[in-house]
Amino acid sequence: MTEPGPAPAGTVEDVLGGWVRERRDPELIAARRRTAWAEYLSEPMPSRKSEEWRYTDLSDLDPSAFGPVGTEADPADSIEDLPPAVAELLGSERTRSAVMVQRNGAIVHVRLDPELAARGVEWAPIEDVASRQPEILEEHLFASEVGAWERKLWALHVAALSNGYVLHVPAGVVVPHPVHTIRYVDAEAALVSTHSLIVTGAGAEVTCIDEYVSPDLAAGTLSLNGVEIFGGRGAVVRYLALQRYGRGIRHFSMQHANTGRDSTLNGLNVTLGADLARCDVSSHLLGPGADSEMLALWFGDDDQHFDHHTLQNHAAPHAHSDLLYKGALTGTARGVFRGMIRVAEGAQLTDAYQTNRNLLLSDDAKATTLPSLEIAADDVRCSHGATVGQVDETQLFYLMSRGLTRPAAERLLVLGFFDEVLGRVPLDGVRDRIRAAIEQKIGLPS
Amino acid sequence: MSGFVSVARLEDLPEGGLLPVEVDGVKVVLARAGDRVHALHDRCSHEEFPLSDGEIVGNQVTCLLHGARFDLETGAPRALPAVRPVPVYECRVEDGEIRVKLG
Amino acid sequence: MPHNETIADLGLDEYKYHFVTDEKPIFKAQKGLSEEVVRQISAHKGEPEWMLAFRLKALEIFASKPMPDWGGDLSTLNLDEIYFYLKPQDRMERSWDDVPQNIKDTFERLGIPEAERKILAGVGAQFESEMVYHSLKEEWEEQGIIFESIEDGLRNYPELFREHFATIVPPQDNKFAALNSAVWSGGSFVYIPKGVKVEIPLQAYFRVNAEQMGQFERTLIIVEEGAQAHYIEGCTAPMYSTESFHSGVIEIVVKKDARFRYTTIQNWSNNMYNLVTQRAMVHEGATMEWLDGNLGSKLTMKYPSCFLVGEGAHGEILSIAYAGDGQHQDTGGKVIHAAPNTTSQIVSKSISKGTGRSSYRGLCKVYDGAVGAKSNVECDALLMNETSRTDTYPYIEIDENRSTIGHEASVSKVGEEQLFYLMSRGLSEEEAMTMVVRGFIEPIAKELPLEYAIELNRLIELEMEGSVG
Repeated sequence: MTEPGPAPAGTVEDVLGGWVRERRDPELIAARRRTAWAEYLSEPMPSRKSEEWRYTDLSDLDPSAFGPVGTEADPADSIEDLPPAVAELLGSERTRSAVMVQRNGAIVHVRLDPELAARGVEWAPIEDVASRQPEILEEHLFASEVGAWERKLWALHVAALSNGYVLHVPAGVVVPHPVHTIRYVDAEAALVSTHSLIVTGAGAEVTCIDEYVSPDLAAGTLSLNGVEIFGGRGAVVRYLALQRYGRGIRHFSMQHANTGRDSTLNGLNVTLGADLARCDVSSHLLGPGADSEMLALWFGDDDQHFDHHTLQNHAAPHAHSDLLYKGALTGTARGVFRGMIRVAEGAQLTDAYQTNRNLLLSDDAKATTLPSLEIAADDVRCSHGATVGQVDETQLFYLMSRGLTRPAAERLLVLGFFDEVLGRVPLDGVRDRIRAAIEQKIGLPS
Repeated sequence: MSGFVSVARLEDLPEGGLLPVEVDGVKVVLARAGDRVHALHDRCSHEEFPLSDGEIVGNQVTCLLHGARFDLETGAPRALPAVRPVPVYECRVEDGEIRVKLG
Repeated sequence: MPHNETIADLGLDEYKYHFVTDEKPIFKAQKGLSEEVVRQISAHKGEPEWMLAFRLKALEIFASKPMPDWGGDLSTLNLDEIYFYLKPQDRMERSWDDVPQNIKDTFERLGIPEAERKILAGVGAQFESEMVYHSLKEEWEEQGIIFESIEDGLRNYPELFREHFATIVPPQDNKFAALNSAVWSGGSFVYIPKGVKVEIPLQAYFRVNAEQMGQFERTLIIVEEGAQAHYIEGCTAPMYSTESFHSGVIEIVVKKDARFRYTTIQNWSNNMYNLVTQRAMVHEGATMEWLDGNLGSKLTMKYPSCFLVGEGAHGEILSIAYAGDGQHQDTGGKVIHAAPNTTSQIVSKSISKGTGRSSYRGLCKVYDGAVGAKSNVECDALLMNETSRTDTYPYIEIDENRSTIGHEASVSKVGEEQLFYLMSRGLSEEEAMTMVVRGFIEPIAKELPLEYAIELNRLIELEMEGSVG
């Protein structure tokens, strides 16, 4: 396993800058790293004065306090070295078309169904692809339109990139089972930066799962992640991010879906772990017939802080997007949702919907929700709704009258609350696992 | 006497002045109005801005950010947009020393 | 400009009288904002020392605050070109000939009486309304109701005034509240005694004098326990003014179990920047309703607010915004729940036509401890043309789990099927559009007093003309 950098004492320019310069990457990646590093230095850290960061305080986030981790995998590090709980997540060839395991950023295991490889499916670490098939990276890697509010962290993510995968599904290929990546982190005071690049040709179909797992860490670790999905014409991509980190981690995930003409993207973000988790999920509808379903659920307890910031960017006419984000909070947890539907001039016949529902389960939990619209075309149907409340007393009473204790009835209603989201995920195995993870967190026996 | 902590000297706090101090990690503002010294939580109950950046008018402290006002004695809100009181702490002046006791 | 000569001719003696105990220089209308202008305003009004000090402090605060970086485009608002204070007589000197033809045409179409036209256009002086006001005033005095100019309120009821003034909207609240606090002039002072229910709506219109059309009006309204009243400001007829900047502050206190409604229908001309801070503090069991109709102006930024500070208080904001070509309505409402069992409702209906843009901006904040708080917000936007724009920016901050909060918004254009149906019944496309738009705003329009509702309907008809083809 690659050791993280020693506890650094210098400034961020010193520590990270030095690390960036010392990387020996293929030129394609090295060039992007250098550009990103320059950008990082020129951008200020987002402060609470900016709208998009109003409710999440980054003032004590000091990137120089983390040791960035390298990309080289120690050949001796293999699946057997991983905790059994992680290894068993990988499933078998019968249930997974491809798998990958990253430990503290380094790639320690890759597997792809040979039949799919034979049909031209690319499933490999980014730097391998840089050497073999640079065209894909030239066109797509870090090419997404990044919002002004996320530039600083995106730049850091790119400059300090540990490693990530490229999944390329050529035209017409249907990948039968999910492609599953486990990102396991157990390094203290480390900066782990991962990237997922998914490129699909016309009519391709694939389901990707990125899962984040760690034990509780005493000295905070910073986890940065970028996801870029390119949907070719008529392609169908399903993307799931399942974040089940332990405590002691701050996780920032910036996801960009570039949905082309007649293509469909169904995304789901599940957030259960980490001290602070911030997801910026942008869906760019770039061609007529593009369809984006954006789902998320989160459950926060203790003093966790979860912030979801979404963008439904209707740049092209005749596209459809539908967002359903639901969160439940207990303890002194804090949940923030800021969602923007933006319809460009000329993006006629847009159908865009957005719903955010928040359940407050304790006296001290707090929810803030800002559903927003900016509409510059008139022949559209757009609506949004947001609610904040507690468990329905009537339903609670009904269940208790059926013999359940109050806590048991509450837990059931919370699971029911999330079922509205989970019910839209047509992957039984995954859905059951997510449900089990929520149950474990709420306190039901799993 | 127990529980009281010395936080400043009286001469550090002019008449009509505000002084931010910290007691056990809690941000406290000392306010001198007339011959009395008051101690309040140094965060406006509206948007958590430091009251020590504001000013004293009569027997009230005004927050710089939006003009919320609080009674120095009780911490009760006296002008919108404040709707919640600010905690007040026991405060004594002894031998030129200002001493504060958190609740 | 003719102004200065006129002042020199008309004003000198009067000014000498006001300045008899003062060594201040002769009043001269000047552009831009300065300490001198503020002192002149206060001296001219014969204000007590504390008010002058308040104004000067507010001027400092104004200078120290930055322009807002959200909301509408204020980049072409040039404060150095504005007269911050003009004596009433100055306004009289504008001529009817200066009033734009389209304004005159609208008066014609809306059937506004001749004398009223001049007042609306800011070129008239006394007229019938004044007499109506005076006769009502006698009735009110018997009941202990006070409805006077804000200056008279300060002069005649100093303790009551000082108790509440600037406690609802302090000068530091925002840059334009600070500006208003420094240069306020004109507005109303209203006091409704305990248990008194005022049947007839109090209309700002009654007290017409030029100052009432002022740019920096300040209004203070106190509604005592158990009292009830309705106040109406503005009118649907277009208000023409050479001044291009209106920045008002309205403070309202609604005490225990009282009920108050404040209705505004404004149709400022297209050159007007209209920035207003409207806020009410609502006590136990009391109800406050804002009815806000914004039909004109180049840019309006206005968010009537209800601070629900007593148990069981209720606040409502019903807002209609119409943004025509080149107009931007940035409006909405704020409700703050700071006590248990408080309830609130915001209904916002906006229409954007041509290149108009309407933005809803709102806040629903529920403090910890406001158990049983319930709030519902509904925003609907209608887009008439391809170039029309609309935005929705609600802020929902909930710190109390035992509350029920809902927000919904929708955006659409006039439905083809709706139009087709109406046209198949013999209506022209224009008439059909008008009907659909009227239906859209009906839930709020039906709350307006009859004559306003009629005028509003006529105005919509006018606006819909030429909207087709």
